Amino acid sequence: MNYHNVTIAGYVLAVAGIVLLQLLATRTRAPIPSLGDLFTRAMRSRTGRVGVLVAWAWIGLHFFAR
Amino acid sequence: MSRAAPGPEDRHVQNRGTDSGGTATGCAEAVVAPARPAGRALAALAGLRTPVVWILLAIAFFTSISGKPVDGVLMLIVAVGLAWDAGRRALRQPGGEEAVAPARADRRAVGRRRFPILGLLAAGVVYAVVAGSFSRYSWPATAGIIGLGTIVVLIGWHGPVRARPDGGRLPVAGTLAWLVVLVAGCLWELSALLQQPSLTTDSYAHPTISTLTDPLLATSPGRMLILFAWVAFGWYLVER
Repeated sequence: MNYHNVTIAGYVLAVAGIVLLQLLATRTRAPIPSLGDLFTRAMRSRTGRVGVLVAWAWIGLHFFAR
Repeated sequence: MSRAAPGPEDRHVQNRGTDSGGTATGCAEAVVAPARPAGRALAALAGLRTPVVWILLAIAFFTSISGKPVDGVLMLIVAVGLAWDAGRRALRQPGGEEAVAPARADRRAVGRRRFPILGLLAAGVVYAVVAGSFSRYSWPATAGIIGLGTIVVLIGWHGPVRARPDGGRLPVAGTLAWLVVLVAGCLWELSALLQQPSLTTDSYAHPTISTLTDPLLATSPGRMLILFAWVAFGWYLVER
């Protein structure tokens, strides 16, 4: 397994972790908040709300804007 | 969003439009800001307790060293502005949690429910098709991204578009599990970035997410697909 595949495996592992936690949160009674709950909690304050939305806007800027 | 009694922030929102003239119209406590430089510095330092500010500062730093200094400066300005805003609120309400972003009036929620979902969906598709038809990093694409980003941030600035239940405290262990996964993913991306030949040169051995998505974003359909997902995620966040 070369470095390229190892790097990609790391991303796949991170995504798998996100999917697993989301499934545990929504399909079982495990004490795990869903991703939506996390966003809702993070965006309760104005600072959190604007911060998360600016981070979202940055994603668009990063991939598409000059 | 269920809350017991309205605080100064709530009164400020309910009286929106009545205090534009200054502090003399019934909302004095909400518009008083630390006037002296020492007070401003203290406010900014208090705002640094907010995790979102540190996340934005990290984004600003790594964006700047990755060859996009303008984006980095924009993020830095937002981070400092949010830190100052959060610190000002913290100083105004010492010992209390940062003011909760107020939900908008119910009539807005009723109006929004009437707004056809299909209309929003169609608008998102049209935006993705038009913006995705331009090549990456072109001025039209840049204008489209900045325009929509600004609109969404401004919508979010005024609070949630509809009230949501508070939900109470999150389970600590479950929240930590999320943090571990998300931070690990970010560190993995960062390690790939730092192992490139330079911060602005892609590496096949250590590809970043940007590098991996380049082939998809090189095509118009790929750009349209990703842009639609970006728009949908933005709307999902606005709804939080």
